[in-house]
Amino acid sequence: MRVVIAEDNVLLSAGLELLLGTKGIEVAAVVTDGPGLMEAVERHEPDAVIADVRLPPSFRDEGIRAALEVRQANSGMPVLVLSQYVEKVYARELLSDGKGGVGYLLKDRVSRVGEFVDGLRRVAEGGTVMDPEVIAQLMAGTGKNAIDALTNREREVLALMAEGLGNTELGKRLFITDNAVHKHIGNIFAKLGLPVADGGHRRVLAVLAFLNSQP
Amino acid sequence: MATMVVLPLLAIGVLTTAFGGLGLVVFPPMMMGLRRWAEWHRRRAAALLGVSLPPRRTSLAKGIRARWKQVLDRESRRDLLWALQHVAIGLPAGLLALFCVGTTVATLVGAPLWWLFPEGDPLRLLLSMPVRSWESAFAMGGAQIALTGALAWWALPRVSRFHARHCMTALEPSVEDQLTERVDELTESRAGVLDAHGAELRRIERDLHDGTQARLVSIAMRLGVAREALDDDTGTVAALLKEAHEGTEEAMTELRDVIRTMYPPILADRGLEGAIAAVAARAGVTTEVELGPLGRLPAAVEAAAYFIVAESLTNAAKHSGATRALVRLSRHDDRLLVEVTDDGIGGVDESRGTGIVGIRRRAAALDGTVLVQSPAGGPTAITVELPCAS
Repeated sequence: MRVVIAEDNVLLSAGLELLLGTKGIEVAAVVTDGPGLMEAVERHEPDAVIADVRLPPSFRDEGIRAALEVRQANSGMPVLVLSQYVEKVYARELLSDGKGGVGYLLKDRVSRVGEFVDGLRRVAEGGTVMDPEVIAQLMAGTGKNAIDALTNREREVLALMAEGLGNTELGKRLFITDNAVHKHIGNIFAKLGLPVADGGHRRVLAVLAFLNSQP
Repeated sequence: MATMVVLPLLAIGVLTTAFGGLGLVVFPPMMMGLRRWAEWHRRRAAALLGVSLPPRRTSLAKGIRARWKQVLDRESRRDLLWALQHVAIGLPAGLLALFCVGTTVATLVGAPLWWLFPEGDPLRLLLSMPVRSWESAFAMGGAQIALTGALAWWALPRVSRFHARHCMTALEPSVEDQLTERVDELTESRAGVLDAHGAELRRIERDLHDGTQARLVSIAMRLGVAREALDDDTGTVAALLKEAHEGTEEAMTELRDVIRTMYPPILADRGLEGAIAAVAARAGVTTEVELGPLGRLPAAVEAAAYFIVAESLTNAAKHSGATRALVRLSRHDDRLLVEVTDDGIGGVDESRGTGIVGIRRRAAALDGTVLVQSPAGGPTAITVELPCAS
């Protein structure tokens, strides 16, 4: 797998290169700003992009905007966005095109090398990986909408789906069988009114519905 | 004497406003000229009385509006009153001095020339005594010089000290004026301090983000890689690495929490509008946001508004059982109005740690006002007004 990294802090980009290297992931290029990212993606055609939220010149949310532009120009190029803090609005903006292949994680998670690289691979394959903090922000509320129709167990399953876990891992995490996982996911899709077909994509829609469950 | 000219000049200055608003430009410098003139007198008065005074500001501010504000204050009113008093006291005092000096000089010159006066209208000294001989000229001339000299010797220092004292009291602010000026100064300096404080918090947030946080992440990454590289994860080294790794993660979480309560990063990244949208997005209730044009706000006001909205929405979600909330931010001249309403059960009890205390504290720090309307049965409306003169 080949990735392009957009990170202006040398300490972090070097750390990421080191870490990805140990897992056999090739870093095609390290760029420090939005236009650089666009150019590098065109030149190297990577499998995924890892981008920091704060990039030069203004060090505000260029990373998010650059990621969205890259996705628009490269038909949903998988993007994993890293940040020192997470906000639900950013997650929603990243997911808004409904194409999947989106990750949004706290930088803290990077040091859990195995989980991080798994997440990155899932993103590259079109999955959705949301930071547990984003999920926590969602769970904090008690809105009156579709999500409230879910049972507690179903909510747990949906939260782990949003974190990007596959069915098997999900079952392991919750100590339930594969069959039970299937049943819960089926219920979630039904309660959220998502179409039966359209396997992987449906998971993205479920997560998006989850993210949109509170305004 | 020169002061007499001041008031008509000022009147002319004001009247020139009729000619293309000339007075608008001309009047403030004229008032400042008066202040310099008054200040010169005040310094001389202080020197005469042997007291030391703090100097007053006599330079004009920048910009027409600021200049007008400057010359329409209590200090300028005092300058004008001083000009009137100065004429009322200074004129008689000056005349007295002139009389003393004039009479002495006239006697010195006139007495030796008594013989030049015509017979029918002789020189008169000591008010009306005619001088007709050298003896009387010397005697009365001497007496007259002695008298006016004595008068000058006795009266002039007293008169000038009286004048000086009046000059100083006229220009000295009353206790009430002093307090008002002090409050104005303090309000201004506090706004400055708060603005600087807000900007400082933003800088610290940036520094921590680029420095300490980045370093911690980089350490955690290396520890993570090291743990992966270790074949055997049961030994002492593995245990130490694990502890170090988890400790670093805790440090990152703590630091993130500290930064969030100090200066929310989203505020730095997206400004107040974006930050309010973000806080509404993760509120536990369906929240609608209405933002008027806010213009540039001091960093401290932005942070306060953010925390106030966040606290209010947390309240609404936690205690009120509300399903919907409305956040409205609008600017009215130098005030930012923050309104948060929800459709909950109301009856907010401020004594029971409902976050209102925190809202009041944040508003008070900026000299703002908080109005909480929460009748039992709802709805709850929290209205906060924050001064934001920039």
